[in-house]
Amino acid sequence: MGFFDEPFDFNIAAEGRVEGIAKVTGAGKYSAEYKVEGLCHAVLVGSTIAAGTIKSINVANAKQVAGVIDIITHLNKPLVPGLADEAKIKEARLGFAVFHTDKIYFKGQPIALVVAETFEDATYAASLITATYEKTEAKVDFKEASNAIPLTSAGKDRGNLSALDSAVQVVEQEYNIKAEVHNPMEMHATIAEWKAPDKLKLFDKNQGVNNVQRTFSKLFAIPVDNIEVISEFVGGGFGSGLRVWPHTLACIMAAKQLNRPVKLMLTRPQMFYSVGYRPAAWQKIKLAANSDGKFIGMHHQAKNGTSVYENFNEGITRVARLIYNFENLKTEAATVPLNLSTPTWMRGPGDCTGDFAIESAIDELSYKLNIDPVALRIKNLALDKNPESGLPWSTNYINECIEKGASMINWSNRKSTPSQLKEGDWSVGYGMAVGAWNAGRGTASAAIQMQRDGSITVQTAMTDIGTGTGISMQNIAHERTGIAKNKIKIELGNSNLPPAPSQGGSNGLSSIGGAVVSATEMLKSKLAEYAASQNDAYKGAAVNDILLSDTGISLKNANNLFISYASIWDKNKLDILEVEASSGPGAERQKYAFCSSAAHFCKVKVNVKTGKVKLERMVTVADGGKIISEKAAANQMSGAAVGGIGMALMEEQLVDEKLDSLVANDFAGYHFPVNADAPIIEVAFINKPDPNINPQGSKGLGEVGIIGTAAAIANAIYNATGKRLRDLPITPDKVLLA
Amino acid sequence: MRPFLFSKSTAANQAIAKKKSNTQFIAGGTNLVDLMKKHIANPDNLVDISSALPNKVENTAQGVSIGAMMRNSATATDPTILAKFPLVSKAILAGASPQIRNMASMGGNLLQRTRCPYFYDVTTPCNKRQPGSGCSAISGENRMSAVVGHSPQCIAVHPSDLCVALAALDATVKVMDKSNKTQSIAFKDFHRLPDNNPEKDNNLPADALIQSINLSNNNFAKNCSYVKLRDRDSYAFALISVAAALNLNGNKIIEARLASGGVAHKPWRWLEAEQFLKGKEATIANFEAAANIATKGLKPQMHNAFKIPMLKGAIETALKQCLNP
Repeated sequence: MGFFDEPFDFNIAAEGRVEGIAKVTGAGKYSAEYKVEGLCHAVLVGSTIAAGTIKSINVANAKQVAGVIDIITHLNKPLVPGLADEAKIKEARLGFAVFHTDKIYFKGQPIALVVAETFEDATYAASLITATYEKTEAKVDFKEASNAIPLTSAGKDRGNLSALDSAVQVVEQEYNIKAEVHNPMEMHATIAEWKAPDKLKLFDKNQGVNNVQRTFSKLFAIPVDNIEVISEFVGGGFGSGLRVWPHTLACIMAAKQLNRPVKLMLTRPQMFYSVGYRPAAWQKIKLAANSDGKFIGMHHQAKNGTSVYENFNEGITRVARLIYNFENLKTEAATVPLNLSTPTWMRGPGDCTGDFAIESAIDELSYKLNIDPVALRIKNLALDKNPESGLPWSTNYINECIEKGASMINWSNRKSTPSQLKEGDWSVGYGMAVGAWNAGRGTASAAIQMQRDGSITVQTAMTDIGTGTGISMQNIAHERTGIAKNKIKIELGNSNLPPAPSQGGSNGLSSIGGAVVSATEMLKSKLAEYAASQNDAYKGAAVNDILLSDTGISLKNANNLFISYASIWDKNKLDILEVEASSGPGAERQKYAFCSSAAHFCKVKVNVKTGKVKLERMVTVADGGKIISEKAAANQMSGAAVGGIGMALMEEQLVDEKLDSLVANDFAGYHFPVNADAPIIEVAFINKPDPNINPQGSKGLGEVGIIGTAAAIANAIYNATGKRLRDLPITPDKVLLA
Repeated sequence: MRPFLFSKSTAANQAIAKKKSNTQFIAGGTNLVDLMKKHIANPDNLVDISSALPNKVENTAQGVSIGAMMRNSATATDPTILAKFPLVSKAILAGASPQIRNMASMGGNLLQRTRCPYFYDVTTPCNKRQPGSGCSAISGENRMSAVVGHSPQCIAVHPSDLCVALAALDATVKVMDKSNKTQSIAFKDFHRLPDNNPEKDNNLPADALIQSINLSNNNFAKNCSYVKLRDRDSYAFALISVAAALNLNGNKIIEARLASGGVAHKPWRWLEAEQFLKGKEATIANFEAAANIATKGLKPQMHNAFKIPMLKGAIETALKQCLNP
């Protein structure tokens, strides 16, 4: 009997994800995988120049290809009411409106869309389309272009920078980070189907179905409720799905033009310039301290790349105002327009970049002061209140993260001078850094449907981009109702379900958790109302006194007074009991400041002969308030740490300034880490609830896992070798030549 | 996808007979399919040769013959290869990913094309892809490019790890040509330098098929190593790789072999350094001296001067590893 013939049961661990089995068996459908009757396939054709105007597009050869149905360009596009004139295009804030201009802003910008009966036909026809252009000068070199761009103030000055002049120790250095590309495993894809002239159905990869729904409601001037967006399974986003990108609009336009459902999936090469990226960045830090290690102040300057058609300011200096007390602080920033597509938020946006420079500078300062980097940080943390707003932290356990992490990695084994630990040709070193993130919360809604047998379905429109939203919703519902987990079904990622914000900025669980709690409370109250018709004791019962179980309702105080769901259902002739609730932030936001935080520690080996950096250990300890699902939370943290390894050691989008072109648009040329590059990431949580942020007490973890990782690694490389590397990624060549 | 005809052959002569104009053989397809997807290879006919070629490791009077259709992963774990030519196994396992090695054939590994990013980007000039169009890498991003043997027409490097080991071990390549005659090509003559014809990667005669790769018995099995430096620890092409093998009598080097990937248009032998090591003691000082000899006179590009110290370090590391394989 072969392996596949053997009978087997899935033994689902208690904390396994609600969608886990569907994902690993292929039953879960990603956007491009849905079968739709009459579907045709679309492939985008990109510009071969980076700046100029389209003179002509030759589609004749492409049209000859068997199976080709139509080719859409700016010359024959269907009407999009929201893009009818220049003013409307501007108002739509799409960056550039695909097929609504003959201007070229970056190489790869879509100039045509081939729609054919099969993907293969469309791909072949797309390869035959040529265009002529009037070329103008393009700028793609961030470093060169940034020199000409002046900095402007980014936030209120604190104190006076002249105070830095009297400091005992000063670190003044520049830091450069190459652009990084999200590249989630699942390529972005859309299936668009017009069910009626004013009714649209989309299977679309994104991080927020309601955002997509609102965007196309405006563009096509149809009611929001006429658009259904399904994004039930998402194979990673990292921020690339937070915007509506041109390919989705192109797909919908084609479906409209042809009056047939159309599928458009970006190719991997297109993923490099179609859905954003973390922009290249330059920073300068001047950091000063007294001899006892007390920070006197900091001057933080930053520039990031953007496109020529849209301004994207990453907010690199924001983190300068979050973690430490600086009596004297000045932050300045600028964006640098380039003939590249617009960058966007990528995991830990802004803060991740800014934190690398600050945490590298603090490490450098610690050696100058001869103070342990752990002690130096703890001395300067803004632990009582947010140093910018002055509001007291609701909770902030960043110091506990640091202490716990130091103990986990045996920080005392670290040598206070570099290059002391040797293993043959390898130098061993320890490094650490911290990161923090403003912990947010949005208003979200959730519904609960209860059946006669006591099973419930909890629903929200929020997508689960792989963060474990589903299992966390199940855990919260279980904890609040007492209903067994195997009787709680989760439905999400569909705009027909109760609305919710996009999943981004570490706001997902923080937002939806409260809605689930509110919905469980409504369910309890509703059940109590019905129960009151059988027993007066239930009348007006407080939510906290109502107990639910798998089979029925009871009261905390009065000998239980158990009433079964079955009897409630039968007496009231119920089919399904349905409640829906919204929950969002309130007055607590005026009283407190909120942050998540993490401390990252690592032990590296650096080969002095070859420049190879090998991570021996990585420890990451986070304060994410109450941990709702430990496995999913740890998964978030370790995934972010691996992303941090990529940022630190290998990820870089190279640009050829002579050809105005990205260099390498595949996984052979753009390296992100694989298992072999990462040690087992050791994750721990402080796990203390934040009593004010939301009913469940959890703070988002998506960003803090990567904010600080790159600095921890760079700091460890310094400790190992005495080489201070301030430009990312730290590839072996940089280590060798430093 | 561009339409093409697909047929399967069950014998080498049958496959060769099918080779009309614009026909390509396909074995594992791990490189050809990439090239077809990017419209770099545009064959009208594909002839599947996966059932037409030997797929065993056979003992011969002089050593072994590895069938051209042996999969890379099967070769890497073959008991004869592991016992007699472990360097071949080490090199294979340093390349690609398990999935690719499971598909890739031994013959095909020799014929894989460069991974120079410009070769893969059809919107840019590339003499290898489009003769006469120019070389984008020379004035562009050339961190991965060649430091020896390059020409003003092309600075691409050969991407194979296996071939570095085969070069070190003086393999021969048995090929069958159109008239069904077989001949052996020495490994050093199999691949070529770019010169003025970078579109030609190797000297395989037109329409010929690789039958097998042959290795002669040697005394390198005990002390050999393969060191590969790359931007990530798996599934990445070499910045620098070194195959090293020592035939030792006590601590005395009877014979040494040193070859590298990531440095040239073909797997590169460091013959002077090998010569230097011959008859010397296997000491760190001699290894360093050999590495210095190998790295003398190399001509790096704008972005890859680092390859010289890295190569030096890699050679020293590989030779040291030979002593503690």
